[in-house]
Amino acid sequence: MRLRAWAWLALSSVWAASLPGAIRPRYGGTLTVELSTGTLDPASPQGHLSAAIAETLVRVNARGIVEPQLALIWQHEPDFKRWRFSLRPKVNFHDGEPLSAASAAPALLTALKKKYSDATITAGGQTLIIQFERAMPELLAELTRPETAIVRKTDTNPVIGTGPFRLVAWEPGRRLSLTAFEDYWGGRPFLDSVVITLGAGPARADVFDIPFGSTRRVVPENTRIWASRPRELIALLAANPQSTLLQALSLAIDRTPIVNVLTQRRGEAAFGVLPQWLSGYAFLFQTAPDIARARQLISQLRLPAISLTYPAYDSFARAVADRIALNARDAGITIQPTTNSGGSLTLVRWPLESADAAAELIRLLGFLGAGERAASIDPSKPETLFEAERALLDDHRLIPLIYLPELYGLGPRVHNSEAAQKRDPFRLNLENLWVDP
Amino acid sequence: MGGPVSFRTKVLLSITTTVVISVWIVASVVSTLVTNSFERQDSQRTAALVSQFRSEFDRRSAEVARRVDAIANSETVQRLALNLGTSKIDTAQYYDAAQAVAKEQSLNFLELAGSDGSIISSAEWPARFGYKETWLLQPIDWKTQGVFLQREELADGPALGLMTVRMLNAGDGLLYVAGGQRLDKAFLDSLPPAPGMNIRLVRDFDAPASSDDPASKLAAALIQNVRQRPRELSFTGSDVTLTAIPLLGRDKQLLAILMVENSRAELANLKTYIQGTAWIVGSAGVMLGLGFSFWAASRVTRPVRELASTVRDVAGGNWDARAPVESTDEVGQLAEDFNRMTEQLVEQRDRMIQAERVAAWRELARRLAHELKNPLFPLQITIENLQRARQASPEQFDEVFRESTTTLLAELDNLKTIVGRFSDFAKMPAPHLETVDLNQVVHEVVKLFDPQIEAPDRPRIQKILQLADNLSPVAADPEQLRRALRNLVLNALDAMPKGGTLTLRTQRLDGPAERKVALEVSDTGEGLTPEECARLFTPYYTTKQHGTGLGLAIVQSVVSDHKGAITVRSEPGKGATFRIELKS
Repeated sequence: MRLRAWAWLALSSVWAASLPGAIRPRYGGTLTVELSTGTLDPASPQGHLSAAIAETLVRVNARGIVEPQLALIWQHEPDFKRWRFSLRPKVNFHDGEPLSAASAAPALLTALKKKYSDATITAGGQTLIIQFERAMPELLAELTRPETAIVRKTDTNPVIGTGPFRLVAWEPGRRLSLTAFEDYWGGRPFLDSVVITLGAGPARADVFDIPFGSTRRVVPENTRIWASRPRELIALLAANPQSTLLQALSLAIDRTPIVNVLTQRRGEAAFGVLPQWLSGYAFLFQTAPDIARARQLISQLRLPAISLTYPAYDSFARAVADRIALNARDAGITIQPTTNSGGSLTLVRWPLESADAAAELIRLLGFLGAGERAASIDPSKPETLFEAERALLDDHRLIPLIYLPELYGLGPRVHNSEAAQKRDPFRLNLENLWVDP
Repeated sequence: MGGPVSFRTKVLLSITTTVVISVWIVASVVSTLVTNSFERQDSQRTAALVSQFRSEFDRRSAEVARRVDAIANSETVQRLALNLGTSKIDTAQYYDAAQAVAKEQSLNFLELAGSDGSIISSAEWPARFGYKETWLLQPIDWKTQGVFLQREELADGPALGLMTVRMLNAGDGLLYVAGGQRLDKAFLDSLPPAPGMNIRLVRDFDAPASSDDPASKLAAALIQNVRQRPRELSFTGSDVTLTAIPLLGRDKQLLAILMVENSRAELANLKTYIQGTAWIVGSAGVMLGLGFSFWAASRVTRPVRELASTVRDVAGGNWDARAPVESTDEVGQLAEDFNRMTEQLVEQRDRMIQAERVAAWRELARRLAHELKNPLFPLQITIENLQRARQASPEQFDEVFRESTTTLLAELDNLKTIVGRFSDFAKMPAPHLETVDLNQVVHEVVKLFDPQIEAPDRPRIQKILQLADNLSPVAADPEQLRRALRNLVLNALDAMPKGGTLTLRTQRLDGPAERKVALEVSDTGEGLTPEECARLFTPYYTTKQHGTGLGLAIVQSVVSDHKGAITVRSEPGKGATFRIELKS
């Protein structure tokens, strides 16, 4: 019986050893990341992987709900002017200094002051009190943005965060080396180190970004695609309101081929400003292209050729602009895509930064110079948000086209991307990845 | 208007005309030869260029066919065909495949389309994915179709391409591979035209011609002509020769026109040069003619003009004028002969004057003898009667003496009258000029003769006055004028002893240089012979039995003193007309 038991134990061990590595996380190894564009500056919030180094007080989970990160608990006064955050205990910066309200306050205040000059922070122990002279219901959404990450810096280290990886070496424009932060409050990451290079080519990288419009659209075999939640809205912005013309143009544009072909089905057709996951009502704006109606609308107009400005060196934007010009041509509207500024239409790439629908819409209204419409938005009443967005779309000054995610190609060595997706659907989270030897 | 053309002018005109015509003929011939040569050369160059174009067209066609074949056999396209046939793949991933493949094969056009003609990938217009190329679905055997011209729609407008199509089996369906190269300026640039030639493709047949560019208008006309009936056609303008070669598509529709422009600027420059040279040579010829005419004038016409001047001097009464003799040629000989003739004329004139003087003295003597003899004879008879009466009958002497002295006094008065008449002629006074109405003078004079004309015992004289209304006044001595007119009227009346018609006529004569008036006195008498007319104004010459021969001499003297002229025209039996012309 004992022998039989030992035999079973031995067989079980052999079976367990033969299981694929995917189901058994592995510590160690170096993850190589290749980026084609962007910055490697570890201190830049726009860095693709900045979340690996620095963390924000709160973050948005896969369901779009704000959840604790460096802050465990928060409260606000009924008027949304005063917020109180209790910081997570036993969190250290990469240089070993414990996270405290006093150490977190300077970077946070600097970030908030850039947008909200009336912001003040009172630090005490593990408590941060952020106060504004006006109501700030969108503060939580604001605090999910990488710009409000809690970081420190010294003369020798430009960025000292609390994230799962710490900076080891940085060659501006070429290479960024990170190593696992052993004292990370969430537990040591699986990876020993991460080496991020810029512009070296994806041939041997474990992870590489896939910008839309690049030649990497057809990815190598055995490559999995990691796609974030929509991070960008591609839209047409008219310099001057020309209601009938833009209405006709909106009807002429067929977004489906753009999504299917130009984004390789990785984008989403945008009929509203806010994506469905963010607003919950975007499907209400959905319309089908109607060339006949578009032609009818402009039949009485004498239309000159319209110039459409798209960003230079942006091949994806150019492809979208060309397709729109083609759709417009079918409706009898002549559009000339150009990289010269000052076109009647501009193809804009609007970054979707906030997890708060109201904050995102207000930010966009401010950008469009329609701030007065923002006053009618009550974050607690989704219908006001819908009305404001519908009014914006009815102006036909902005024609939403597509939402774009961030795309990364993951090589066969890389595992556990699903968990990374669940933890942060907006950015590729290196903390949960592990690699084969 | 024009006076006589001088010899120098004739020489100048002759030389100029000869030179100009010669130069014009030479310039025209040279210009025509050059034009023909240039046009022949243009034609040859155009033919060479067109031939070169066709060769290049064929070469590129073969190249396009080869490249499209290579694409059809490429791994990418074969895999696409395979995937299309084996599964419902998402063709989206191939949407930019055509660009890369076309770039590899240096093709400007490449479209990959599915069985229904939907574009999977387009190299020339990537945004057209999903659109349908219906022309691919036409029932055409693309294998045998070869390479053809095709009008391709692009984002920046239509373009012309050398196209060919390959069909690949994709399971139950097809994969169309339509590729080609652009037929554009770059294509034409591979055909370096000769200097002065230009070659271009015309695709917009309705492009408006520039209103101020003749070549543009010519091209527009040529395009429309070829458009109506496609064929090779040439038009020649002043600046350019245009040759249009129609480029036809698969189904023979006109897609473009190859326009070969041969500049005629070089020809125009050469023509201008020839014209300029002709002008220079012609001008030089004219200048040469001018110089030659002056030389000829100095050698020929100047002696002739001097001779002519001498002739005019002699004719004007300067009998001492002599033509200079400066050469021994014909002109010099002529001058010598003229001088000799003039000297002979002077001698003859002197002799004639002397003879006329003698004749005049004789005539005067005869007239005086005749005039004086008539009174002298009664004087002699009377005196002899007195002497006989004294001797024969002294008692009747007193009565005879009284009668004789009366007769003597009468005859002496007669002698006195005759002498006075001669004396009057000898001392005609200078005219005292004043403004005179000639018509009034005529009226006054005629009035004096009215009693005589209307006297019942005379044969009937009809008086006719034809006086001009618009007669200008003349500067004349009215008394002398009346006297002259009286003499003419008296002569006319004397010429019509049997009656007749006396006509007095005044007339205004407006010449280019001066204005004159004319006065004519006509009779219907016996008339005069030409000899009588010639001597009519000679003093003491008369055709009348009792005339003194001074009447018409006085008339001529008056007219001459008034710078006028008197003429007579007459034929025997048809009366005579005396005409006086005076300056007004």
